[in-house]
Amino acid sequence: MRKGSFGWNGRKRTFVLFVLALALLTVVTLWGQVAAEKAMETDFSRKDLAPCLEYPFGTDWMGRDMFLRTLTGLSMSIRIGLLAAGVSALVAVGLGTAAATLGRTVDGAITWVIDLVMGIPHILLLILISYACGKGFRGVVTGVALTHWTSLARVMRGEVLQLKEAPYIKMAEKLGTEKLEIIRKHMLPHLFPQFLVGLILMFPHAILHEASITFLGFGLSPEQPAIGVILSESMKYLAMGKWWLALFPGLLLVLTVVLFDVAGESLRRLLDPGSAHE
Amino acid sequence: MGKKGIGVLLTAAMMACLLSGCGGRTEAQTGENSTAQQEHREREASEGTRDSVIVAMGVTSEPEAGFDPAYGWGAGEHVHEPLIQSTLTVTTTDLQIGYDLATNMEVSPDGMTWTVTIRDGVKFTDQEPLTAEDVAFTYNTVKEISSVNDFTMLDRAEALDESTVVFHMTKPYSIWPYTMAIVGIVPEHAYGPDYGQKPIGSGRYMLKQWDKGQQVILEANPDYYGEAPQMQRVTILFMEEDAAFAAVKAGQVDLAYTAASYGDQSIEGYDLLSFETVDNRGFNLPAVEPEERDGGTVGNAFTSQVEVRRAINIGLDRQEMLENVLNGHGTPAYSVCDKMPWYNPDSQVEFDREGAKEILEQAGWKVGADGIREKDGVRAAFTLLYPASDSVRQALAADTGNQLRELGIEVTIEGVGWDTAYTRAQSEPLMWGWGAHTPMELYNIYHTLDGSAEYSPYANSLVDRYMDEALAASDLEESYELWQKAQWDGTGGITQEGDIPWIWLVNIDHLYWSRQGLQVAEQKLHPHGHGWSIVNNVDQWSWE
Repeated sequence: MRKGSFGWNGRKRTFVLFVLALALLTVVTLWGQVAAEKAMETDFSRKDLAPCLEYPFGTDWMGRDMFLRTLTGLSMSIRIGLLAAGVSALVAVGLGTAAATLGRTVDGAITWVIDLVMGIPHILLLILISYACGKGFRGVVTGVALTHWTSLARVMRGEVLQLKEAPYIKMAEKLGTEKLEIIRKHMLPHLFPQFLVGLILMFPHAILHEASITFLGFGLSPEQPAIGVILSESMKYLAMGKWWLALFPGLLLVLTVVLFDVAGESLRRLLDPGSAHE
Repeated sequence: MGKKGIGVLLTAAMMACLLSGCGGRTEAQTGENSTAQQEHREREASEGTRDSVIVAMGVTSEPEAGFDPAYGWGAGEHVHEPLIQSTLTVTTTDLQIGYDLATNMEVSPDGMTWTVTIRDGVKFTDQEPLTAEDVAFTYNTVKEISSVNDFTMLDRAEALDESTVVFHMTKPYSIWPYTMAIVGIVPEHAYGPDYGQKPIGSGRYMLKQWDKGQQVILEANPDYYGEAPQMQRVTILFMEEDAAFAAVKAGQVDLAYTAASYGDQSIEGYDLLSFETVDNRGFNLPAVEPEERDGGTVGNAFTSQVEVRRAINIGLDRQEMLENVLNGHGTPAYSVCDKMPWYNPDSQVEFDREGAKEILEQAGWKVGADGIREKDGVRAAFTLLYPASDSVRQALAADTGNQLRELGIEVTIEGVGWDTAYTRAQSEPLMWGWGAHTPMELYNIYHTLDGSAEYSPYANSLVDRYMDEALAASDLEESYELWQKAQWDGTGGITQEGDIPWIWLVNIDHLYWSRQGLQVAEQKLHPHGHGWSIVNNVDQWSWE
C-alpha cells in the first residue's frame, strides 16, 4: 500500500473518497432540483450561444441554459436511478432469499423467471415495459426497476445457498430456531454489505439505461430536461458546429456514472473483510 | 484499474466505429450513385451539356407503397404531381385549375355528373394508347382500394367512348377538379398488385431504377405528348436532414432540402433557395365545454370561451415568432389556406397585446396573485401539445407559451406521439401542420361530422351551410366565394370576429440548397410536406 498523503491510511482515504463522491452526487441532485424550473425556460433572445461565463455550457436553439438543463437532467437521472435501483434491490433480495430457502419448487420457479428476464435483451424489455406503462416518468422508472434486479437476485441466491451450509446456520437449525427467524437474525446481516454494494453499483446501469431509453425517444417527452433527450437533440446540431450541446452533457453523464462507480467500489473496500485492514 | 482501462479503450473504439460508420454509409451511397450515373455523366461530358439533376429529399418522402396512386402516390397526405403518370387536370401557379389529359370538362346542373373529354393520341410508355377506359378504371380502382384519400363522393366512373369519361357522384362536389389534379392515370392492361414497384404511366418521366432506402432514378419519357422535359434524368436521394446537409457540403447533390435551423450557414457553390408555402403551423382551441364522450374528455373549460380564443389570436406576435423560430424563413399565417383562391383576407389580424389583455379583462379574467388570470375558479391555463419528433413545432409551442404568459395565461408544453395526439387534441390544444391545394381542407377542419368537427370540437351551422353550398355549387368561381363566406360572411364565421376555433401562426418557407447554375422553375405555393412538391416541374429546370 502507498504511504498516504496527509498521513492517512488506505481505509481513511477510501472513506474520504466515498464521502466526496456521495457529496458531489447529492449536490448535483439538489442543484438540479432547485433549478428545474429555470431549466425549462426558453428565451429566444439568447439562442445558440457558445459557452461563455454566463452560460458555461452554452444555450440551444430555443435559448435554454444548457448548464441548468444538464444539471436537471442528471438530477432526474439520479432520482430515477435511486428509485429504480432501490426497487430492483428489494426485489432481488426478496426473490434471491426466497429461492434459496423456500424449497426446490420455488427455487426452480424463481430461477426460471430470472433466466427469462435475462434472456430478453435488456433495452428491448425496457422499451416494452416503459411503453406499456404509458411512457413518461412512471414508465421509465417501472421499466428500469423491473429489468435490473436479475443479476443481484442471482448473487443473493448463491450467497444464501452458501450460507445455508454454514456451520452456525446449521447449528441454529438444529437448535430449532424458526426459518424466518434464521433469515432475519442470521442471514440478512450477513447479506447486507453485498446488498448495499450491489445497490450502489446498480446505479450506473440504471442511469445509463434511463439515458438510452430517453435518447431513443421511448421515455420522456422532448421538452423534459433528461440527459438522453439532451444528447439525442444535440446530434442534429453537431453538423452545424454546435459542439457544446453534446460535449458537456455527455461528459457530465460519464462523470456521474464514474462517481457512482467510485462510491460503490470504496464502499465495497470498506465493508469487505478482505480489504478491511489496508 | 486494468479492467477499467480496457473498458475505456473499448468504449473509445466503439465510438470510433460508430462515427466512422456514419461516414461510411454516405460514401457507400454516393459510390453506388456514381456507378448508376456514370454512363449518363460520360454522355453529358462528351456532349458538353448538362441535363440531369440530383435532388435530396427527406427519408419520409420515399413512397412506402411504391408509385401507385391508389396507395397514396401524389394523392396521399402530401399532395404533388405524380410525374410518372398524367392527371386529368393540373393546378396552376395561382392554384386555379388547368388541363393536362383533359380537354374539356362539364358538370351537370345538379352537380351529380362530371363529363370529361380527354386528348387523343396519348400513349403509355409501353406504347399502348391511353383511353377513357383507363381513366374510368383508375378512378374505380382508387375508390375501391384507396386508404389514404377520400373518394366517397364518387359513385362510379364510366367510359362513354374512346375519349369521354363520365363521373357519377354520390353528392355534389364542386371541387372535383382539384381531386382530378392529383390522381395519376394508370393503364388497365398493366395494373396489378406490383404496379407500385414497376409503374407504367403516360407522364413526363419513367421510373428507371429504385434502390429502396436510397434513391429513385427517373428518366424522361421520349413519347411524352406535351413539351419534352429539359431534364433527361432526375435522381432523388432520400436522406436525413443532417446527411443532406453533409452531402451538399461535399458537393454530391445539386439540390437538397434543408430546415430553417441551417439557414444561417453558407456553403460555397450553393445558394439557399426559399419558396413560399401554405405549409402552415397552428393550434386548435377546443371550442366546447368539457364533457365525457366515448370514454374520453372532449372540450376544454378555458378555451371554450370565445373571448379567450380571440385574445389569444391577437395576443400573439407572429412576426417575432418567425424571427425567433424560423430565422425569418416564413410568413405569418392567419388561416389554413392563406393566399389560395378560396382564402378570405378578413382572416388577417393585427398583433395587439394590450387589446388582448383588455378582452380578457372585460370577459372577467382577473390576474391572480401569481400573475395568472382566473375566472369563476377556472385558471387561465392549458397544456399545448406538439408532436415529439418535430423540433420546429416544439419551438413554436414554447414561444407561444412565452408570449401568452405576458397575457396572464399559463401554458405548459408537452411532446406527444401521433398515437395519442388525435385523441388528446379533443380536449387540449395541439400544434398542427396543414396546408393543401384543395379547399377540402377547410371542410375537414371546420365542418362538423356527427355534430362536432373531426380534429377539434367545434360546431357552427352557418359555417357548415356555406361549405355544403360551396360543394354543391355548379361553378368553381362561385364556390370560391362560398368558401370565403364560410370563413367570414360579415356576421359569423371562423375568424377573429367569429368563433376562431383554430389559431394559425406561420407558413413555413421550404428551403433548399441549390447548386449555383441550376435554374429551378417557378414554383406554385408548396403544400404541407417538404418533399416531392419541389420536383413538380423538374422537367422545366435547366443548367446555365
